[in-house]
Amino acid sequence: MLYALIRKELLALRRDLHGLAALFLMPLLFIVVMSLALQDVYNPPLRSMRHAFDIREPSALAQEFSGLWQQGHGAALPLPADWQAQLRAGELKYVIVIDAGFANLMAQARGPVQPQIHLLAEPGIDGNLFNSLRAELEATAGPQKARVALQAMGALIEPGATLAKLVTAERYASGGPRPSSVQQNVSAWLVFGMFFVIAALSNLFVEERRCGALARLRSLGVPHSVLLASKALPYMGVNLLQAVLMLMVGAWLMPLLGGDALSLQGVQWPALVLVIGAISAAAVSLALMLSCLLRTQAQAAAVGPVLNVLLAAIGGIMVPTFVMPGFMQKLAALSPMNWGLEALLAVLLRGGGLANAAPHVLRLLAFATLMLVVAWLLFRRNAR
Amino acid sequence: MLSIRHLGHRYPGAAADALTDVTLHAARGQVLGLLGPNGAGKTTLISHLTGGLAVQRGEVLVDGLPLAQVRAAQPTRIAVAPQELAFYPMLTVAQNLACFAGAAGLAGAQRAARMQACIATAQMERHVHARADQLSGGLKRRLNLAIALLPQPELIVFDEPTVGVDPQTRAFVLDAIQRLARDGAAVIYTSHYMDEIEAIADRVLIIDHGRVLRDGALSELLAEGATLLTVSASGLSPAALHELLGRYGSIEAGAAADLASGHTVRLRLTAATTPVGVLQALQAAGAVVQHADFGRCNLEQLFMALTQRPLRD
Repeated sequence: MLYALIRKELLALRRDLHGLAALFLMPLLFIVVMSLALQDVYNPPLRSMRHAFDIREPSALAQEFSGLWQQGHGAALPLPADWQAQLRAGELKYVIVIDAGFANLMAQARGPVQPQIHLLAEPGIDGNLFNSLRAELEATAGPQKARVALQAMGALIEPGATLAKLVTAERYASGGPRPSSVQQNVSAWLVFGMFFVIAALSNLFVEERRCGALARLRSLGVPHSVLLASKALPYMGVNLLQAVLMLMVGAWLMPLLGGDALSLQGVQWPALVLVIGAISAAAVSLALMLSCLLRTQAQAAAVGPVLNVLLAAIGGIMVPTFVMPGFMQKLAALSPMNWGLEALLAVLLRGGGLANAAPHVLRLLAFATLMLVVAWLLFRRNAR
Repeated sequence: MLSIRHLGHRYPGAAADALTDVTLHAARGQVLGLLGPNGAGKTTLISHLTGGLAVQRGEVLVDGLPLAQVRAAQPTRIAVAPQELAFYPMLTVAQNLACFAGAAGLAGAQRAARMQACIATAQMERHVHARADQLSGGLKRRLNLAIALLPQPELIVFDEPTVGVDPQTRAFVLDAIQRLARDGAAVIYTSHYMDEIEAIADRVLIIDHGRVLRDGALSELLAEGATLLTVSASGLSPAALHELLGRYGSIEAGAAADLASGHTVRLRLTAATTPVGVLQALQAAGAVVQHADFGRCNLEQLFMALTQRPLRD
C-alpha cells in the first residue's frame, strides 16, 4: 500500500517540471551565483582598487610609506589634477593625503598629536572596506613611526622592518575543512533549497484533495499515517538528492567556474548525514502541516515560496545573523532554517562532529515532531 | 446487504440537521436509485458509507454488522465512484490503476488480474498508457468507474457518474452498472437524470431536507400515476376549479410549471370516481377542458410533485 502511494508521488513529482525546477535548479543557481558574487566578502579586492597619493612633502619617509602601502594594495595612479572630482564620481576609490611635516612628526619620540595621513574615500565605498583601509593605514604607519622614532633614539633597526611579522591571522580550522565563502554559501543555500519542498508538496497535496483522489484513498481504508508517510518519504528522498547534488556542485563545479572549491576534507560524515536528515525532517514536516492547513492551490502557490523566503531572511540564509539588529538575532534563533544552517556550519565549516551538531539537530527534530503532530491532527479533522 | 435505520446527522455549528431520519435498504443484485434535489442530504448519506462521517444517530449495518466494524475489517467491501474525477491527472491510466490497487491492498498477480479486468470492463485497453489528463471526458468517466471497481466491492455507490458525457458513454456506463448488479453487487445510484434512474433502478428512494419522501420499487412508484388525473380548464376561476374538483378526490400539492397558474389541477381520484365523470362535471359547471391526462406519471413528475418547485442552493 505504502509502496504504491510512494511510487505515485514520485511519478507525479517527476511530471511536475516546475516543481522539480524549483527543487533542484533554484538552489543550484543560488549556490553558483551567490558563491561567486560573495566570494570577496571575506577577501576584499584591495589590490585592484584605483587609488592615488597626494604627498605634500618631498621626504624619503613619505615615499617609503607610499611604497610600503603599494606593496599590499597595488600600484597607485599618478595623482590626477581633478582627483577631487574623480573621487566624488567614484572613478578613484580613495586618495591618501600625506601632510607636510610628516617626516618630522614620525621622528619625534612621542605619540602623534594631530593627523598627518588622511584617507579620502569615494562616497559609495562599502563600510567594511572603508574600515579595513583605515585599519591598514594605521597598521602601515604604526610600525614605521616606531622604527623611525627608535632610530632617532639610536636603536639599530634595519629599513623596511615591519611589526606585521609579529602577527599572523587565519580562520581557525584545525583538522576540519578549509574555511571559505563557498563553505558558508553551500550550507546556506542547501538549507534554503531543502525547504523548497514546502511549495512542491503543498501544491500536489491541495490538488489531490481538490480532485477527490485523497478522499478516494481514505475510502479505501488507507490509514492517515500511511497517507502522510507516503508524502513525507519521497520528499525526504528528494532532499537527500538535493544535498548530494549541492555538495557535488560546491566541490567540483565551483572550481571550474573560477570559484573556491567546497572542502570536504576532515568533514565528519555521520554528523553531516544526521544534520541533513534532521533538516529534511523539519522541512518536510512543515510542508505537510501547511498542506493540511491550506485549502486552495492559489494559497499553496503564494504561501510556500513566501514562507520560504521569509524563513531564509530571518534565519540568516541571505544575511548573516551577526550583522542583524539584536531583536532580529533573537528572532533568527527561533527559525528552523537558522537551526539547520548552524548545524551545517558546525559540520561543514567548523569541522564539528555529532556532539557539536546535536543541539541544533535536537531542535530540528523537536520542530519536526511538533509539525507532524499538528499535520496529523489537521488531516484527521479535514477527513471528518 | 446494507441496512440504514433512522440515520441522522448534524454538522458542527449547523443550525439544522443535514439528515433527519433516513431509513433504506440496499440488496445484492439490485440497483437502488437515490434521488433528491441539491442539499437534500445525498452527499452526507454517501459520506457515511465511505467512512468520511461517523454515525451520530441511528445505525448503519452491513450484513447485520455495524458499518464502522465492517470498514475497519474490510474497507474495500464498500466503494464509491465519486462525481469528481478522483484520480491523478499526471499519471497514465495504468499508473492510476496501479496506485489505487496498491492502496486497496492488492498486490502481485491479484493486482494485475484486477487491473486487467477493470480495464476490460471500462473498455480502456487502447488507452492504458495514455496520461489521464489527456483523455476525453468520456474516457475520464470510464477511468473513474474502473478505479471504483478495482477492489471488487460488494456495495458500490455511483454518485452522478454520467455528468457531462456523450450519449454513447452514458449508455455504456449504465450498462456496466446494470451488469455489476446482475453479477451480485448491491448498487446505489444517484443522479439528477430521472430517465437514467427509470432505466436501471429496481428500487427508488427520494429524499429531501434529510428525510425520506418516498421509498419503493420503481414499478410501484410509477403505478401511483394510475389514479392521477391532470386537468387543464378555463372558464372557471382557480378557486372555483379547485372547489369543484375537490369533491372527486384529493388535489395533490405540486409546484410544476403547469400548476402555477391555478387552471391546471392534479387530482388523485377516489375509488368511486371515474375520469369521465369528472370531465362531465366540469363541462356542466361551464368549464372548458383544454387538456386532460390520466393514468400516467413518470419519475420526474413524481419527484417534482414531492420536492416542490423552488430552486435549491
